[in-house]
Amino acid sequence: MNDDPTSPVTRGRRRLLQGLLVLVVCAVAAGITALAGSAAPVRSAAAPAASAAGRLSSAADTDTLGRRVFLRDCAWCHGNSGSGTNNGPSLSSAGEADADFQLRTGRMPLDSPDDQPQPGPPAYGPDTLDALVRYVGSLGTGEPLPTVRPGDVGHGQSLFTANCAPCHSSSGTGMILPDGTWAPQLYNTGSEQIADAIRIGPGEMPRFGDKQLDETDVDDLVTYVQTLGRPQVKGGNPLDQFGPIAEGIFLFFVPLPLLLLVIRLLGKKAP
Amino acid sequence: MGRRALRKADDRLGYASIARTALGKIFPDHWSFMLGEIALYSFLILVVTGVYLTFFFEASSALRPYTGSYAPLHGREASGAFASTVELSWDIRGGLLIRQAHHWAAHIFIGSIVLHLCRIFFTGMFRKPRELNWVIGVALLALGIFNAFAGYSLPDDLLSGTGLHIFYSTVEAVPIVGSWLTFLIFGGEFPGRFIIERLYPLHIFVLPAVIAMLITAHMGILIRQKHSHFPGPGRRDSNVVGSRVWPAYALRSLALLCAVTAVTFLAGGLAQINPVWVWGDFRSSTILSPSVADWYIAWVEGALRLFPPIELHLLGFTVPNQFWPAVLLPGLTFAALWAWPWIDRRITGDRGTHHLTGRPREEPMRVAIGVAALTFYGVLLIASGEELLVEWSRWPIGTIRAILRTAVLSLPFLTGAIAWWIARRLRDTGAEGALSLSASQLLVSHVARQTAEPTAVEDGAVTVTEVDAVSDLEKASAGRPLTEEPAWIGPTPEEEG
Amino acid sequence: MSSRGSASAPVVCFALGTLSAIGFAVSYGFDLSTPYLGLTSGLAFAFIALGLALWASSIDKAEPEYVEEREVGPTPSSEFEAFHRALTTSPIPRARLLWSMLGVSFGAVGLAALFPLRSLFPNPGGSPDKLLATTAWHKGRLMTTEEGIYIRPDDLETGSVMTAFPEGYDTRIAEAATLLIRVQPDELVLPPSRQDWVVDGIVAYSKLCTHAGCPVGLYAQESHLLLCPCHHSIFDVLRGAQPVEGPAAHPLPQLPLGVSENGFLMAEGDFSGPVGAAWWGYES
Repeated sequence: MNDDPTSPVTRGRRRLLQGLLVLVVCAVAAGITALAGSAAPVRSAAAPAASAAGRLSSAADTDTLGRRVFLRDCAWCHGNSGSGTNNGPSLSSAGEADADFQLRTGRMPLDSPDDQPQPGPPAYGPDTLDALVRYVGSLGTGEPLPTVRPGDVGHGQSLFTANCAPCHSSSGTGMILPDGTWAPQLYNTGSEQIADAIRIGPGEMPRFGDKQLDETDVDDLVTYVQTLGRPQVKGGNPLDQFGPIAEGIFLFFVPLPLLLLVIRLLGKKAP
Repeated sequence: MGRRALRKADDRLGYASIARTALGKIFPDHWSFMLGEIALYSFLILVVTGVYLTFFFEASSALRPYTGSYAPLHGREASGAFASTVELSWDIRGGLLIRQAHHWAAHIFIGSIVLHLCRIFFTGMFRKPRELNWVIGVALLALGIFNAFAGYSLPDDLLSGTGLHIFYSTVEAVPIVGSWLTFLIFGGEFPGRFIIERLYPLHIFVLPAVIAMLITAHMGILIRQKHSHFPGPGRRDSNVVGSRVWPAYALRSLALLCAVTAVTFLAGGLAQINPVWVWGDFRSSTILSPSVADWYIAWVEGALRLFPPIELHLLGFTVPNQFWPAVLLPGLTFAALWAWPWIDRRITGDRGTHHLTGRPREEPMRVAIGVAALTFYGVLLIASGEELLVEWSRWPIGTIRAILRTAVLSLPFLTGAIAWWIARRLRDTGAEGALSLSASQLLVSHVARQTAEPTAVEDGAVTVTEVDAVSDLEKASAGRPLTEEPAWIGPTPEEEG
Repeated sequence: MSSRGSASAPVVCFALGTLSAIGFAVSYGFDLSTPYLGLTSGLAFAFIALGLALWASSIDKAEPEYVEEREVGPTPSSEFEAFHRALTTSPIPRARLLWSMLGVSFGAVGLAALFPLRSLFPNPGGSPDKLLATTAWHKGRLMTTEEGIYIRPDDLETGSVMTAFPEGYDTRIAEAATLLIRVQPDELVLPPSRQDWVVDGIVAYSKLCTHAGCPVGLYAQESHLLLCPCHHSIFDVLRGAQPVEGPAAHPLPQLPLGVSENGFLMAEGDFSGPVGAAWWGYES
């Protein structure tokens, strides 16, 4: 074995190692890129709310359960009969749809009136949720629970592009609003909760009544929203389906640096 | 057998001695000289993948039924351009790979041109005799950007269609003739029914042909003038030191071609780009968020976002708001780029002929201006990603915008000044690099300059033998090994003092 | 130097490249997904690149650096004069006149050749200024949704937003897209001349941003703000769509609303100003 560091064989070996390093970096980057694409989207929302439990149980004792939980957890902000306090708004115009949306997406209850509602796992089990939704719905005169059936995904995409994509983005990945708040990501949201939100227009979101979007339209929309996320991905890592911003960032962190590394190894340094 | 074939060709063309000269040509080896080659090879990839795409793409804005497998489009109509792009991506084997490789290759093409431009700028190799090549290069950048814009607008999707609307409003803002120009390009009010059909021949033929011709001129001038090289042992303005074209340089260049192809196809298969079926087909009454262009145009979007709401009404005319960031700024940018060799002459007073690459530190003012410019356009590029900044900071858009407006006006001066100072210190102390400057070297300013300026060949003077009228192609290969003791031609730097 | 030693590494690389290329063909044959196609084809080129690089570097190690003289430079004056004379001397008199007239005729042909570009204009023509300043809306024109359904005021709930078009309109054209937004009537702050442009708290504005023409698609219901996603102009719905932030310099034009005999929403005239971005000939 030739130990002379300047011999062609040793230098050749060093070059081989450098080249293999580039290839390994390539392969690792490729592997990470491919594997990351098979994981959940980067900014994934909370676990899916139980959409099968949209149909409420109708036993009489759930009303008592609902009232009990309401007085324990909600009345301190919304008032004993839901008429509102300094801490929280009145529920007189709320309906079952409002309650179903807020509770099943985990936005309510809030620990403090200053908190921003954030999507997350619901705070209660299915039976308590049913009971609470019935009870809160009885306090106000708002939207009833919508029923969702499978719809036409094509018409749904058309409606989504016209009404939802401007705020939630075409890929449903969420986007900013003027005052710094978010139109949230739509991946992994329960079907009933999507329908709830369309009807009630929570927060800054506009509402869409049944004369504007009838039941079939909502079915179509919900069916389409459930295809957002993984099923749209076709050509590798989706880069969060964020568009040219993410693609540009990727370019300057992966392909161009790789090529710079390649020419650095291929060429020589200044004498 | 190979020898016989070569001999037969030579019987007919008599090329052997010219070829021998060509094989012996010398190319300098510095790694930064390969940036232009990355651009060249990504252009080749663009052409090859582009031809494949033309077999499947329908450049039509007329509606037709979608016949592919993407469920949300079943039974619906879309323009031929959009439908054929989605069909290519979902149902043609290898179609999405080629389409994504094509788009990534465009990114690499323009990105490497920008890096190449920076290398030329900071080493001063736009100076005589290379001004013409610089002008051609800037033209290649402009054409590349425009062709890329035309290319990603072809699928007629919601994202690129919105960009076309902004382009329409930008052309409208051209003084006096703006609205006529827009009607000429679009054939009427937005969106018209012609724009896809008009962009298509421009994108697949006219602009690539012009780019190819300019690349040929660019390389022809390079070959005629011979590439520049870094100062070093044996290297003078009057010679070129490096490796021979055959076999060393050719193999290395071929390796780079394969590497660029490898990166392009790895990206094309592993990183999704421009999923138009997600954006949806273009409808002029709706929009998606975020709505931004690809990065090489996004700096104009950033300027459009940051520029304050100024609309001037003068003498019965309106200077619309989008004129300043979208017409004037890009116009001035490219005018300044094209004119730079002559601007640089005024700043540095250097009118000599140079074949030795300058070290950036030799002209601190040029370094400062370059760094300031990169900072300026960098902040504009960041402004095109305001949505991400809002997401990370959770501050309202108004705050982010105020910060970016302040940054774009002040940060370039700051970074330019720092770059100028570091370049001055490097030049005066003769230190190896910026990181090897000690604190005292960095801060103390009255140090005598250690290095003599590299000699510049004065206009008209030739330090080698007189060039005779015989074409240099007819000379035998002139490459000879650079020995340990270089034979100096002309006075050495020490003799010149 | 062992010639076998320096050749074996590139050979291995080329062999791996060959295998990857076969892998690509196999992936294509089995209709594997795009990532597999990209990985195999990319690796094929990557291995070949590596092999070539190793081969080149072993040649580099065996060769010295070469030097060559640059021969290009200004031609000596006498030669240059000879060239200039060859170019400009003419065997016949009045050559200058001939060259000049040739230039004039080529220039004329060139200018004439530009005229067919005029055919790119819309046909029939008309001043762009006039066409840009008006839309398809006029008094009495009924409104429909994008799908062509007429709209009653009650179809919209308070806090709703809807996009409307003129009846019978080709919705692929941008200019007449209108936003209908329903707010509480007493929240509106409009000038007296526009008080009757509102129906039951429904206001109508052009959907095209007055900055660069993008559809202003985002409506924040609680804040009554319209946001354009292109360059983040923000318009106040309650105050005649005045721009409150961002680069837009004038408000979204408002459309006067009325109700037809059958109770459907209709326009009472065209927009209050030209829609979309301003241009050189724009007048508000």
